[in-house]
Amino acid sequence: MPIAVPVFFAAYQANVEEALRRVVRESGSPVERAMAYTLHAPSKRVRPVLTMLSAELCGGTAERALAAAAAVEMVHASSLILDDLPSMDDASLRRGRSANHVVFGEAIAILAAFGLLNHAFGTIATAYEPPLSSRLAALAAEAVGRDGLIDGQAADLLATDRDINFDLLERIHRGKTGALFNASAIAGALTAGADADAIKALSAFAKNLGLAFQVIDDLLDVEGNPSETGKSARKDLRKTTFVSFSGVAGAHQLAAELCETADNALAPFGRRAARLRELSAFIAARTA
Amino acid sequence: MTVDGHSGRTAPPSDDARVDELRQRLRALGYLDAGVDRFVLGPARASRRPWTIALFASIRVGALAALLLGPAAAIGVRARMPSLVAGPRDAIVVAVYLGLFFGLAVAASAFVAGALVSLAARQSDASFAKRGDRLSRIAGVAVTLACLTYFTLWWQTVVANVGWSAPYWTISALAIAVAIGLLLGHAVTIMSSAIIVAAVGNVARVPSMSWRTTIAAGLVAFGGAALLLTWSARAAPIDTPRLTVVPSGVRVRVIAIDGFDPAIFQDLADHGRMPALSSAFTQGAVVRIDEDRDRQDDPARVWTTVATGQPAEVHGVRGIETRRIVGVSGSVPAAEESPIARAIRGTTDLVRLTRPAIASGIERRAKTFWEVVSDAGLRTAVVNWWATWPARSDGAVVLSDRATLRLEHGGALDAEIAPSSLYQTLRERWPALKQQAVEMAGPLPSVISGDDRRALLRRSAELDAMQLTLASAVSTANTDLTAVYLPGLDITQYALLGSSTTPLDALAASDLAGRLAALREYYAMLDRMLAPSLAPAAGEIVIVVTEPGRVSARTGARMALLGANVSRGTIGDSDSTSVAPTILHVLGVPISRELPGRARLDLFDGEFARRYPVRFVSTYGEPSRSNAVSEGTPLDREMIDRLRSLGYVR
Repeated sequence: MPIAVPVFFAAYQANVEEALRRVVRESGSPVERAMAYTLHAPSKRVRPVLTMLSAELCGGTAERALAAAAAVEMVHASSLILDDLPSMDDASLRRGRSANHVVFGEAIAILAAFGLLNHAFGTIATAYEPPLSSRLAALAAEAVGRDGLIDGQAADLLATDRDINFDLLERIHRGKTGALFNASAIAGALTAGADADAIKALSAFAKNLGLAFQVIDDLLDVEGNPSETGKSARKDLRKTTFVSFSGVAGAHQLAAELCETADNALAPFGRRAARLRELSAFIAARTA
Repeated sequence: MTVDGHSGRTAPPSDDARVDELRQRLRALGYLDAGVDRFVLGPARASRRPWTIALFASIRVGALAALLLGPAAAIGVRARMPSLVAGPRDAIVVAVYLGLFFGLAVAASAFVAGALVSLAARQSDASFAKRGDRLSRIAGVAVTLACLTYFTLWWQTVVANVGWSAPYWTISALAIAVAIGLLLGHAVTIMSSAIIVAAVGNVARVPSMSWRTTIAAGLVAFGGAALLLTWSARAAPIDTPRLTVVPSGVRVRVIAIDGFDPAIFQDLADHGRMPALSSAFTQGAVVRIDEDRDRQDDPARVWTTVATGQPAEVHGVRGIETRRIVGVSGSVPAAEESPIARAIRGTTDLVRLTRPAIASGIERRAKTFWEVVSDAGLRTAVVNWWATWPARSDGAVVLSDRATLRLEHGGALDAEIAPSSLYQTLRERWPALKQQAVEMAGPLPSVISGDDRRALLRRSAELDAMQLTLASAVSTANTDLTAVYLPGLDITQYALLGSSTTPLDALAASDLAGRLAALREYYAMLDRMLAPSLAPAAGEIVIVVTEPGRVSARTGARMALLGANVSRGTIGDSDSTSVAPTILHVLGVPISRELPGRARLDLFDGEFARRYPVRFVSTYGEPSRSNAVSEGTPLDREMIDRLRSLGYVR
């Protein structure tokens, strides 16, 4: 049985869902429907919730961070569509249902991915005033760009069916998962006008949490139930994963230590960071 | 419902070595608790040039060293110099000072290592990147070895010098040094990696160490440090033996006269103007004391040598002026007067980090003869000797060089007198004692001309008389040893002949004659004041020790013994380190083999020498560090003012 998300999550998730439905409708052109298909698919919305919690932690409001949170989720949905393509990971199942390209075809899926990506930058540009909008756009571009999702995915593809070392694996994870986790936390902090120290602490939190998230993802691929994970089981068998290096027990251990380090990074915020700690606890224990 | 995530993450610990390797890799990549790496690499995050990274990262490595080494070294200093670190506040201040010192030293070392790595990287081709991790490791190992060697030698020579005689302390100290050395070396390795990345674009691997390598390196480093410590250790100190006295039935009174010129004395004696001292010098045994004239004009240094029987390099009191570090209640010995030392002293005084202080027992590292006698269970009293403050109540009666000042000022005692109970008695008797001293000083001879000279002689005479009066007041018929230091003659001589801004050869003959006449009169006054003290009672030996003082640097010192079993006449030469063993032997106390001087048996008749051969012990140990009674306001400022008015300090 899946581990339930923390109670406070529901309100944040509801706000995110509502915002996403406002920006991308389920009816309309095939591309728009394809965008909505992946964006509105059942999800825990960990990244946008991280954005809103970070904003609140730094003295801002979840409401002001909502547009940035939606943009983060659109970037994430875009990356999922691209990851599942036959030319990439060639996955057929995502978020508990058929992958985007299986339903809408490869061409529409690619357009939907770019549509979401474009929409994310548009949302940032229209929701926030300069210079915050510029900083958020630069942050998103960095998370997506050659040191972020794109680099991680490229390195991942090139590593398939090959032995890779641990540094390369970390680079893949950092790009594919860590970069957007980091951007999610920092985006929330920026909407709250956080100072450099707070951003630094949140960045350390997100960095460790992002890798923990990915390690657990690797573990779920080995141990998880597809009906719970919503992904094809053992689809990463051809790949070198964290589990390949550490074994299952070792991966559990290191994931726990990464989450603990993430919690420690929040020490400067004291008890105010309780919800973010709950988030990391949830990630550490998740089964889906 | 909220998930108890923390319970969910406590997976059973894996003993798989691969996991530990991965943990180390993750730390090197900035995950987990790689706080030190992140801290050191802070400046390398931006795209800076290698030299800039080396500079800023070195500062951070230095800060790390300061934080770790400051408190650790302060604990070590507390073990060696308890008088400097008298409490938590002192410990904090010393930790800050030592932290700054070590921080700067380590930052400089790290920067040198970083600069060398930067140079090597700049002059190498692209393939250098593949060897970068090796160079980083070499830089780290070099800094680790340098730190460890320095820490070990520092611990050996500055802090403890006890070698393996205190194994727990030594093992702990070495283990801490190894841990800190490895950590600093690791920091330099990480810094060097960042420099290489900035210089050539990339490194093949980020250097990291597994726990096995770390433990192995730690063990090797510990072994090396232990060998170094053993190799550099001096012989382990021997426990202080118990002193056994062979009673000679003799009591000793030591009268120390500063500023004594044997030539003037002889001239006056020949004219019958110094009957008491003349009698002592003609009827007793006299030894000429040849001094190493190097810095023998400093009374605190000279008289502490006389009192301890050790040279200044051993007893630690190198001069009247010492330095006190701001924020610390203790003091440290003044450095030798090299130009560099003077420059440092001037600078630290200027920025108020240090301030001048007066030589005290805090710096003294050897026992005085009265402390040894007291340790042996005999009754002792000492009055006004140099560097006797703070007076510690370990059995002896000590009226320190600040005692008169405290008795004049009143108020709570600040360790000027020991035992403290004596202070109240003397304070109550103070008016009477003052009157007694004035009467002992007597009227000034009418031949002394000039108000200034008369005031000078009056002041000196009353000062000497006060010390003699106090010595009488605190000693009884049962006191085995009484020692009193008389500064009046030196003060007079210096004021008349040594302190003038006009060179003596530029003075008018009449002026010079007047000064000499006044000085000669003071000799006669002193002789009169000393007369009762120079007559030994039955079973008593009076020992007069003279030093030429601050002016007559070319004249010799003397030691004259008068009383039972003492030979007659001038008997050979000696040096001032022989005074203490001679006094100790007279009282039946064994002589420490650590003393460079010897007991002068030839000053006594054959019967005494036969009955009381010199006995030896290995050591007297270190001076007592027991707490002195210190409740009142320190008289530091008043002491400096007084010594300045007497011409001792500028």
